[in-house]
Amino acid sequence: MKRVTIFKKLIVATALLFTGFAAAAQVSFSVDAPRVVGLDESFRIVFIANAEPSSFDPPTMQGFDILAGPTSSRMSSTQIINGKKSESFEVSYTYIVQPKSLGKFSVSSATAVINGKRYSTQPVTIEVVKGEGSSGGKSSSSQPAAGNVSSSDIFMRMSVSKGHVVKGEPLVATLKLYTKMPIAGFEGVKFPSFNGFWSQEIETPQNIEFVRENVGGVIYNAALLRRYMLMPQQTGTISIDPSEMICQVQVKAAQSSSGRSVFDDFFSDYQTVKKRISAPGIRVVVDPLPAGAPASFAGGVGEYRMEAKFSRDSVNANEAVSLIITITGSGNINLIESPKVDFPVDFEKYDVKISDKSNKSGSGASGSKVFEYPLIPRGAGVFSIPSVDFSYYDIQKKKYITLSSGELKLKVGRDAGGGGAVYGSSLPAGVNKQAVRSLSDDVRYIKIGASGLRKGNSMMFGSLVYIIALALIIAFYFVALRILSKRIEMNRDVAGVKNRKANKVAKARLKAAEGLMKQSLNTAFYEELHRALLGYASDKLTLALSDLSREKIRESLSAKKVNEELTNEFISLIDACEYARYAPDGGGVEMHSNYERAIKLISGLEV
Amino acid sequence: MERIFRINTIEMRDKVESSIFSKIGLMFFLVAFLLTGFSQSIFAQDVRELWKDGNEKYTQGQFTEALANYIKIEEAGYTSEALLYNIGNTYFKLKENGKAILYFERVLKLNPSNADASNNLALAKEYSLDKIEGVPEFILTTWIKDINYSLSSDMWSYISLFLFAAVAVLLLGFKFAYTSRLRKLSFFFGMVALLFGLISAAFAWDQRHNSGLKDSAIVMKLVSTVKSSPDISGKTLFILHEGTKVKLLEELGGWMRVELADGRQGWIISIDIEKI
Repeated sequence: MKRVTIFKKLIVATALLFTGFAAAAQVSFSVDAPRVVGLDESFRIVFIANAEPSSFDPPTMQGFDILAGPTSSRMSSTQIINGKKSESFEVSYTYIVQPKSLGKFSVSSATAVINGKRYSTQPVTIEVVKGEGSSGGKSSSSQPAAGNVSSSDIFMRMSVSKGHVVKGEPLVATLKLYTKMPIAGFEGVKFPSFNGFWSQEIETPQNIEFVRENVGGVIYNAALLRRYMLMPQQTGTISIDPSEMICQVQVKAAQSSSGRSVFDDFFSDYQTVKKRISAPGIRVVVDPLPAGAPASFAGGVGEYRMEAKFSRDSVNANEAVSLIITITGSGNINLIESPKVDFPVDFEKYDVKISDKSNKSGSGASGSKVFEYPLIPRGAGVFSIPSVDFSYYDIQKKKYITLSSGELKLKVGRDAGGGGAVYGSSLPAGVNKQAVRSLSDDVRYIKIGASGLRKGNSMMFGSLVYIIALALIIAFYFVALRILSKRIEMNRDVAGVKNRKANKVAKARLKAAEGLMKQSLNTAFYEELHRALLGYASDKLTLALSDLSREKIRESLSAKKVNEELTNEFISLIDACEYARYAPDGGGVEMHSNYERAIKLISGLEV
Repeated sequence: MERIFRINTIEMRDKVESSIFSKIGLMFFLVAFLLTGFSQSIFAQDVRELWKDGNEKYTQGQFTEALANYIKIEEAGYTSEALLYNIGNTYFKLKENGKAILYFERVLKLNPSNADASNNLALAKEYSLDKIEGVPEFILTTWIKDINYSLSSDMWSYISLFLFAAVAVLLLGFKFAYTSRLRKLSFFFGMVALLFGLISAAFAWDQRHNSGLKDSAIVMKLVSTVKSSPDISGKTLFILHEGTKVKLLEELGGWMRVELADGRQGWIISIDIEKI
């Protein structure tokens, strides 16, 4: 049962929430109350709605005496500017209250039903201090005499969110104006230049809005003039210059009468006094980043996360793809540079597109920064890109942290265009032949193999080895010379000389035959040849002419170990001679050939 | 060992002169070679380890350790093209450009035909500051130098030996060839081979001679002043930077008279430079 009711309540609550959001564009219901009040001060709390509520449920106000209220008032206005009509309507419920005691009190939310829907205001906390407060409401401060504006009445103050930072750590500097007196205007405003910082204005209000603030127990109207985000770029103590401006302060003119009428507040003479005020400079201590920064550190300070991915996991060659690295976190995010990525050389790379999606709030910048690396892979294959590293200095943990994406893989398919047949070229359109580029220079690699280490001068020329080799060559020459000479000598004895001798013998024996051959005397020539051959045989074989028969000659020659061929030749030549002696004239040619045969034969036998 | 070897060689020379054909002499040579080879291998064990270790360290990118190893080998009295080349490379990697240039120059001094060393030297010189326009050389000298430096001294030695052997063979051919035509050809080619053999030997000798010369140096200091006289008070003539090559002319009390490639001369403190 109980659970069911809780559930119902929840449904109602969420429903309310949603309807509230839905209607928020048109209907608003808000509260306006000072943050700080003096103890003896009466002030107003106003609830404003921009539509007519059908009912108003008042808040509970503990710690405050309600002096009057709620008094409701309505205001409507219609404007026509350049034919454009705009209407506004406002209902306000005003309480005039006075605090009972010192401390912090809250005014609970008021609820109104507008157009059948319920709207609630935010609860408001009001601090009650022991400040000087008169019953005069907002302009409560006691007015000093004309021209005598003290620095406690109006001053500027620069404050920083952190006074001690590390280099690059963002901090927020706020310049505020505190006043007790009405201000007519400013002039000669000089803001600090923030030397040593990278600075950016993150809030520059167009209208200066005063909010009550408690400064050392005194209530001031405070206004935010500027808010900066600073990132120190130097280390050491950096001072922020004082800022200055001249304020036109409205001071009540000196009064002649001591009496104060009720109308004085409205009709007394106000005098504008120029007052130069300045916010004192402040110092920020900036510590250097500790040593030992990783290689991929590029000045990022704060707390980040990184994500890296390709816009597509697989592409075809010559199609565009991009690597997207997103760095999310808080810190000096707008100063982060694009992480270095080593793409394969075959990829065509273009300029990194950086989009900063960070928002600067009171606590520094946070958000994300997206780096987009456009690429066009020119070749197919599976490419892996080495891990992308991004390092930053974590302020909380006080150490460097390196985020790494891990190896990224990109599958590149073959060119979808089929590669080729584009105007007869074998390369796809838009791709040109390119020279092999030298990407960087380096020395050639060291020698790894044999060291060839030697002591002293190891050159071949003039070394012992060289001299020996030279000596060996000379030695070889002389040895060869000697051997060859000897051999030739021998050859000369055995063959050359003998040969010539044998030739001579043969020629001498056949001299008569030669003469007859020249005279072409056939029969005489053969007779002479026959006689010469037989004579030679008898001399050579030491046989008597009468003993010479063919068999005997053959026997003797073979006994002398004469070549079989020569023997046959000898016999056949003798036969030829005997035959030719009685045969008819065979002609000079045959004679000549037989003569040559005989010379050859005798020379052969002689050798 | 060294001493024994030396005595042996002296004996050897006597033998060579007295009876070059004697087999005993050849035996002695062989023994001497074995002895010298053996004596080297005793030290070599340690050195080889250093060499291997140094190369490994270089491969792993530990250049300082690699260099320490190489330097140890060098200090032990060993040298080789490969060692000097590796030292040069290591210095280059350690960004000590002057030293790198010095060692590459030393490699080229040992072997002017070492293409890797000349490539690396050119690269290292890119990093040195001084730009000196050399005086142009007589074109024939350049050609001869180009031919000479296209091969190492050892290569030229081998070529000369080969050619001398060819001369010997061709002279024998000239003496004993059967036909006169062959004899004529043998004589002609023998003379050509002799000429080229002598040229090769001259190249080999020239390279060996140059490698022994200590006539040039590299500036080792980042900035070094060259004075007009060999003392501090001398006028500063010009300023040289690390890696510049200078020719040494004379020495006088810790000062060196040097000449640049463009012909300018001056005195430099000896400790600022290192001889190649």
